[in-house]
Amino acid sequence: MKQIQPRQNYLGAGGWVWAGNYKLERYLYLFHRITGLGMLLFVIFHLIETTFFRIQGQSVWEATMRLLHNPVFEVGIYLVAVAFVYHALNGLRLILQEFGFALGKPTPPIYPYKDTLRKKRPLTLAMIAVVVILALVFLFDFIV
Amino acid sequence: MRTTRLHLLHMFSGAVIAVLLGIHMVILHLDAVLGFFGIDATEPTSWGAMMERASQGIWVGIYIALLAFVLYHAFYGLRGIILELSPSVRTGRIITRVFIIVGIITLIWGAYVPIALLSS
Amino acid sequence: MTESSPKQVTFRVQRYDPEDGTSPHFEEFTIPSSRGTTVLDGLIYIKENLDSTLAFRTSCRMGICGSCGMLINNYPHLACHTQIEELHSDTLSIKPLPNQPIIKDLVVDLMPMFNVHKSIKPYIIRQDTELENPTAEFGQLPQELNTFLQFAYCIKCGICVSACPTSASDRLFLGPQALAQCYRYCADNRDDGHQERFHVVDTDHGVWHCHLAGACSEACPKGLDPALAIQLLKRQLASQALGLRKKQPPSSVVPPPTEIKPKIPFPEFTVKGDK
Repeated sequence: MKQIQPRQNYLGAGGWVWAGNYKLERYLYLFHRITGLGMLLFVIFHLIETTFFRIQGQSVWEATMRLLHNPVFEVGIYLVAVAFVYHALNGLRLILQEFGFALGKPTPPIYPYKDTLRKKRPLTLAMIAVVVILALVFLFDFIV
Repeated sequence: MRTTRLHLLHMFSGAVIAVLLGIHMVILHLDAVLGFFGIDATEPTSWGAMMERASQGIWVGIYIALLAFVLYHAFYGLRGIILELSPSVRTGRIITRVFIIVGIITLIWGAYVPIALLSS
Repeated sequence: MTESSPKQVTFRVQRYDPEDGTSPHFEEFTIPSSRGTTVLDGLIYIKENLDSTLAFRTSCRMGICGSCGMLINNYPHLACHTQIEELHSDTLSIKPLPNQPIIKDLVVDLMPMFNVHKSIKPYIIRQDTELENPTAEFGQLPQELNTFLQFAYCIKCGICVSACPTSASDRLFLGPQALAQCYRYCADNRDDGHQERFHVVDTDHGVWHCHLAGACSEACPKGLDPALAIQLLKRQLASQALGLRKKQPPSSVVPPPTEIKPKIPFPEFTVKGDK
């Protein structure tokens, strides 16, 4: 009898982005990852700027600052600030929930089922509201 | 328990970074808002303001601590992302060692510059 | 009461025949659907009337065996548990569960998931000989049962593993099903095997690759909430790592009662028979 090789059906890294019609919390995880990687990329350039350029004295520093005070970089810095605000607040929510503090207790499942992440949706929405408020505060400072 | 301890340090460093980087962000990017609270705010990226911070031990301490925690948090996170893409065990080990070496070199260089500027 | 006439619904089913050498493709079938017709009813109609080569798993048709998990309109459901009417659509796309290898059409290979489930030792482990030579019942209060009862309802359908973003890319990840069952046994007060199970889950591809996306709990057809189980397992691991874990011995046996309750007297006959 011929052995059938099952066909691999993994979604791969694309499965992090989209695997079906899931709700908000799955995309919060994805955004947490994107903001983390975005900040890492920024940190590489920032470290070069604050070590190599800073140690070379005032004229090099001021020339670098003149180069960076340009709208494209300003928008980039604002995005990094928003990424930090989101990553930090979502991270604090994850620290609480990953150790079961803000998740509630196991309850016998009674239809229609509501899992704890959906039950704690108000906490998640409050966190997003704080992120939006802080993003607006940073925006005010960037514009002024 | 090794992985658990590494992960607990990842979370602890995340919480510490939220505080230290929060201070850094407020000082650097919220100068107009701080002005409303009466805190004197000269342009924080100017040479004068930057050198004033560089000559204070507390700021040097904050920057070095921030760098150390950020390097651990970022490299542990990046290593987790790469391992989730299922490389072979050998590739996983190579990546871990490369991150440790790059992290130590970056920390030494990143700590040397503010200490050098502190004494200048 | 008038019966609504059946309306025609189109099923776009992903077909794959390993012996054909072709890659997966979609085929359309039109089936009559009325109130109460489930997706599984539709698939059985296709197999009986339209194309008998369609392969899918089914057994209990009442949402308890876990055989018929599939991706219906890009969301994992149990086909027997999903009414066509609740999907509010005249065209349904039906695909096999992702992150599991496809054998044929809608049949996926669940053996990898079962093997991972075995690796976390899903049985009570004790140091004494009570399991081999039982003497009496184990004592377990209702409150102690409630700490893990929700997670004992797992039907091993594989839907949570399909929903998990980490399982999508990490082939070595244990998956929400195994991790939730690991917690179910670690939280059971009759069990004393948490050290052995911790060695399995406290690895590079173990519990710490769960990032609380929560898709597993959202998709679970039995309301199990595997995400909650996994976070509680992380809590146990963290307490152990920090030395804060309370050393509780597993529950001991409860000997049968020694005093025998008095017999209730036989009641009086209520219907008087012929003397």
